[in-house]
Amino acid sequence: MGTQAFAIEAKQLRKTYTTTRGVVRRERVNQEALRGVDLSIRHGELFGVLGPNGAGKTTMVKIFTTLLLPTSGAAEILGIDVVKDAQAIRKRIGFVFGGDRGLYWRLNGLDNLRYFADLYRIPPDVSRRRISELLDRLGLAGRERDKVEQYSRGMKQRLHLARGLLNDPEVLFLDEPTIGLDPVGARELRSIVRELADSGTTIFLTTHYMFEADAICDRIAVIKKGEIVAQGTPSSIKQTVENQGVVEFEVVGMAADRLAELRALPGVSSVVVSERELAQTVTVQCARPGDVMTRLGVILDGVKLQKVSSREPTLEDAYVQLIGESS
Amino acid sequence: MSSLARAAFSSFRVSTRLRVVSPYAYLNWLVFPLLFAAVGLYVLSRPGAPASHLTYGLLGGGLIGFWSITYLDGGNGIQDERWNGTLEQIFAVPTPLWVILLGKIAGSLLFGITAFIPTVAFAYFGFHALLPHIDAPRFAISLGVLSFSFLAIAITLTPLFALWRWAFQMLNGFELGVYVLCGFMFPVAIIAPWAQGIAGGLAPTWATRALYAATTTSGPHDYVAWWLAAIALSLGYMVCAVFLYRLVERHARISGDLALA
Repeated sequence: MGTQAFAIEAKQLRKTYTTTRGVVRRERVNQEALRGVDLSIRHGELFGVLGPNGAGKTTMVKIFTTLLLPTSGAAEILGIDVVKDAQAIRKRIGFVFGGDRGLYWRLNGLDNLRYFADLYRIPPDVSRRRISELLDRLGLAGRERDKVEQYSRGMKQRLHLARGLLNDPEVLFLDEPTIGLDPVGARELRSIVRELADSGTTIFLTTHYMFEADAICDRIAVIKKGEIVAQGTPSSIKQTVENQGVVEFEVVGMAADRLAELRALPGVSSVVVSERELAQTVTVQCARPGDVMTRLGVILDGVKLQKVSSREPTLEDAYVQLIGESS
Repeated sequence: MSSLARAAFSSFRVSTRLRVVSPYAYLNWLVFPLLFAAVGLYVLSRPGAPASHLTYGLLGGGLIGFWSITYLDGGNGIQDERWNGTLEQIFAVPTPLWVILLGKIAGSLLFGITAFIPTVAFAYFGFHALLPHIDAPRFAISLGVLSFSFLAIAITLTPLFALWRWAFQMLNGFELGVYVLCGFMFPVAIIAPWAQGIAGGLAPTWATRALYAATTTSGPHDYVAWWLAAIALSLGYMVCAVFLYRLVERHARISGDLALA
């Protein structure tokens, strides 16, 4: 710590929230959101954090963006301590939280940007030029005088991104930026994010979407219940399930005892069932897909089997295994 | 203009624009002060009542509106920021929170002072109420000192609204207390002696006293002492605010209470 070798560095970062429960007899309850997170992110890297809801992704982003104090441990952004010198960090970072909120809907896009440019204390001549560039770059030019409430979800998210880039940040934090966007809007945003990283901005991105992390991130961390359970490049994370295969089949009416039988098969590491209208899609991660395919006939005897396939594992399979393993 | 002054002005401009498009703001600006003015004028203009009573009816509604808008709009503004999801955004910028709130409250102050327009018009046209003995320069200075005292209270208490959602409900009572204790609608001299002690610790009490004194020739006219008392108390609140802002910043970063969820 204390060096600028890394853009973002965290050592044994912990965060515990204290809340109260009950109305008359109030009881204090501690919730551990982060449990000793270690991270080192290089300058110019696009780093993704994957994890289920409540895993601690947003808490991590809020500590790095100086919105929260860690309970213990240390974190530095560009070599500056997040606890001791929040103001110095705020000048040099940008952040974008996912969702519709976080903008003044009754003002137009331009007024939103001008306001935040002033709050970022950017000189007027610089902010004028910067806002114009960002409106062009993010495809909002021509609509900047429309009220934000008239914007589509994708436009609002691009406006969020423009706001996050006003101060030309060295580090940009994106907390689930594509959540709720249609596929085209999400793809556009991902491409902008990748361009930013290629131009030297360090990006810390949290997401639920495996393909998003796989497509654009240089490195990924998987977080579960406040702990990093895996860290590396997308391909190295996939290697954790390298010796595994995936068997997928679609059935109508899969009884619980048959699922249990499937889980008990040798080499099976996880079985995930997703409901699709009347049918169920069952994804089996296993060491020997051929053996599982052979045994399926016996286990599914009498069950209406619609489709069976075997494929190579994806980042999502690695994620499911990592999350499953650590539970 | 320095970057901090520009940030405060920008906050002033944005909060004023948002207020202009909010129907709720007009309730505070027009409806509530008129209701108070109407009640006050009916009660205070009974046959045989001294002329000074009508002055309370004439200015009281406006004063209540002025105070409500300055104080409550600060709190409402913070709640709106929380609902918009912008409270975290403005907290994590390089501009200190007090500068942003200063701009917001200055906007409230400007909007609040316009509460005198409907109430004075109502008093004039409805009751032919006038201020024939007004000492305009002293009245203007007293109004300035009163504005400063409102600003000081609002800027001191508003960060509490940012931190605790319940603070807004709790401090609503303070809004009503100030009506009574600071002599907006009637002289402080008629309230209980123990309450007068509390009133003496509130800066607007002294500024209001000076304001009403500037409309009449009778009674004491210790303007300088009253102005200085109001200014000194206001500065005292602002010194407390320095510590309060540090506390709020630290507590908000521990609890994470700036977000809605």
